Amino acid sequence: MVRTYETVFITQPTLTEEDERVAIDALAEIVSSHGGVFTANDRMGRRRLAYPIQKFEDGVYTRFLYDSEPAVPKELDRRLRISDKVIRHMTVCLEPDWAVAAKEQAVRDAQIRAETEAARAAGLLPEEGAEPAEGRRTEGREDDEAEYEERD
Amino acid sequence: MGRMRDEGGGGDRGGPRGAQGPRTGGRRRFLFRRRKYCKFCEDKARWIDYKDVRTLQNYIPERAKILPRRISGTCATHQRQLMQAIKRARTIALVPFTSD
Repeated sequence: MVRTYETVFITQPTLTEEDERVAIDALAEIVSSHGGVFTANDRMGRRRLAYPIQKFEDGVYTRFLYDSEPAVPKELDRRLRISDKVIRHMTVCLEPDWAVAAKEQAVRDAQIRAETEAARAAGLLPEEGAEPAEGRRTEGREDDEAEYEERD
Repeated sequence: MGRMRDEGGGGDRGGPRGAQGPRTGGRRRFLFRRRKYCKFCEDKARWIDYKDVRTLQNYIPERAKILPRRISGTCATHQRQLMQAIKRARTIALVPFTSD
């Protein structure tokens, strides 16, 4: 019976971006090669762990949302446990009516992300990067001037 | 039990005022107490996501224990879902087991 599963796993924060991508792609390949259909494969990003795991204080979270036979999460779980790049993982089987909502949400999130990335590509990002820096500089100058005025 | 607690509370406030004063104080406070309700029922949230740390954080006080129903006013169904979500969040280190 095909069900919806959600797997969240934490990879070591010390991995290089490329190593991380290779590891995640390999895991995603397991799902798709065993007949799983992805709805979402997002990198939730690096965040601080609530408690240290294997002496790591941070971790990179990745989330898979997919429809498959129960054999797929079983195999994925086995591989995740072997991998030393993954420090923690968890798979949840979603209730059918929740699964629909979760999938819709995932699609919406993906759209929003794509839009923001497109906006960045269109040239918003460099401006964002440049403007605050200038702003800070001018603020700094103003502060300096104010100080001088006070001294005078 | 309830009456005793009210009298005790009033007594703290009233002090040397005699028997009647503190009791009315206690009753008044009881009248103005806000009614608790289940926030998940109000939101019509279909399910409580274990990845949504912000929501969960409201039900995890200082010691990182799960806030009991008698305090938060969450309905039984949602308290059960909340418990499940918090425990899941704990296993993937989104939320602490303990904090000191």
